[in-house]
Amino acid sequence: MLKRHFPIFLVLALVMLALLLPFLLPWSYDQIDWEAVRAPAFSGSHIFGTDEIGRDRLARLAAGTRITLMVAIAAALVSLIVGIAWGATAGWIGGRVDEAMMRIVDGLYALPFMFIVILLMVVFGRSILLVFVGIGLVEWLTMARVVRGQVIALKQRPFILAAEAAGTPSVAIMWRHILPNIAGVALAYLMLTVPQVVMVESFLSFLGLGVQEPLTSLGILVKEGADDMDMTPLGLALPGGLLVMILVCLTIEGERLRDRFS
Amino acid sequence: MLALITRRLMTAIPTLLVIILASFFLMRLAPGGPFDGERPLDPETQAALQQAYGLDRPLWEQAWLYVLRLVQGDFGPSLVYRDFTVSELIAQGLPISLTLGGLAIVLALLVGVTAGLFAAVRAGKAADQTIMMGATVATALPTFVTGPALALFFGLWLGLLPVSGTGEGVAWLIMPVVALALPVSGAIAKLTRAGLASVLKQDHIRTARARGLSETKILFKHGLRPALVPVASYLGPAAAGLLTGAVVVETVFGLPGLGRYFVQGALNRDYPLVLGVVTLYAALIILFNLFADLIYGWLDPRMREG
Repeated sequence: MLKRHFPIFLVLALVMLALLLPFLLPWSYDQIDWEAVRAPAFSGSHIFGTDEIGRDRLARLAAGTRITLMVAIAAALVSLIVGIAWGATAGWIGGRVDEAMMRIVDGLYALPFMFIVILLMVVFGRSILLVFVGIGLVEWLTMARVVRGQVIALKQRPFILAAEAAGTPSVAIMWRHILPNIAGVALAYLMLTVPQVVMVESFLSFLGLGVQEPLTSLGILVKEGADDMDMTPLGLALPGGLLVMILVCLTIEGERLRDRFS
Repeated sequence: MLALITRRLMTAIPTLLVIILASFFLMRLAPGGPFDGERPLDPETQAALQQAYGLDRPLWEQAWLYVLRLVQGDFGPSLVYRDFTVSELIAQGLPISLTLGGLAIVLALLVGVTAGLFAAVRAGKAADQTIMMGATVATALPTFVTGPALALFFGLWLGLLPVSGTGEGVAWLIMPVVALALPVSGAIAKLTRAGLASVLKQDHIRTARARGLSETKILFKHGLRPALVPVASYLGPAAAGLLTGAVVVETVFGLPGLGRYFVQGALNRDYPLVLGVVTLYAALIILFNLFADLIYGWLDPRMREG
């Protein structure tokens, strides 16, 4: 179990670490140590040293991981809810409604979405809430397609037909029979959505359009590290490596889950 | 074929119009305007500027005028780069972005299809697992991490490649294109491997084997073409991904492409510039999706009708 699902345990361990570190470290992520600007790794109480204005790297990494994953999970949940609602409705009603709803999804797929999200960020200010609402609204399309396919397949099954024949209202069938049966697939795609969202959030933050200072995220840390990489390569290597590791682990587990359910 | 193209172009026009109008009104909802500089301008100058750029007219009228001019190929003036029109900025930036994106997709296809092919032939063996693991890692490599990392390693430490700007020759293209192509090539390798693995199990391949065809011939003549169908359907999203990736790569490597203008424009509320770039991106993506559909039809004749 542990060996086979090493990636997900690694991510969970990192999450625990990110949550616990603020209680263990003497420095907070936005606190400046005037005595130790640009301190190298393992100097005094700064395990990974400090950045160009004297903030503890490890504390900032933990804070960045927290924010990045929090945004990712929240946005993935938005995409889950919107995707299931849209896909299940289209698949259940079928016919013209289904066709129209799926046309909209196809149309949205073709949009330069990243740019629309950037526009949203510019228009409504760069609040963290909007970062994940914006991303969540973009990422629901795949979920909607998958759920619709599942619902259409389920609709033909005898137990659903029987429930219908028995006069069970549609809403009850949906809750009691359809949703539990698509939960597995939905979970797999939720898992695959999380790394997608991590990528989008970091991308936005990297460009200065996502999470704003004093809050930090892995994207911001990568940006800071990239700006200062000729002086301290560690500033780029740590958040960059952490980000890639999280993305790889989540993708591997997500793909495994997806293959199991389809 | 021709019917498909015309039908797609017919739906492309309303789609584009919706995107343009949606972006137009979204932009105008934004608090703050293009003339809010460091120091506030006096009201008269502000009003004069608003009037000069037509920003004082009703929104609907502005939108209508914008679309009218757009049809004639006029994207309007840039509000921040005052000496340039948006068309001029696009004319400067587009070739750079297209070169980057075009080279990246070619590189990604070459590397991805080759790796996927190799893995499928060695299905189940160590080479297959290594390649697939590499592909998974590659898909998870964001351009904003690989870009600076490459610049640091090959640019600053080894001093082999230029870190920023366009410069002479083609050396400046190498790192941006590699950073862009990496995640796409990983995805293409996975798709090729999966497609080929399922095709190689089919009856016509078994027949070809029974007829005594060489493995190479089976692979390239009968296997590869149907196996590339999923790759073709990925080309549309890949193009969109490359365009967004280009935004980062252009920022990281200081290339004056469209993406950088877009980010600058968004930060400065340069309405016409942002609108122009979004419109252009949307048109490019729609065009590329059409192109991908044509390749799709060529690979799988059954798709030509739909």
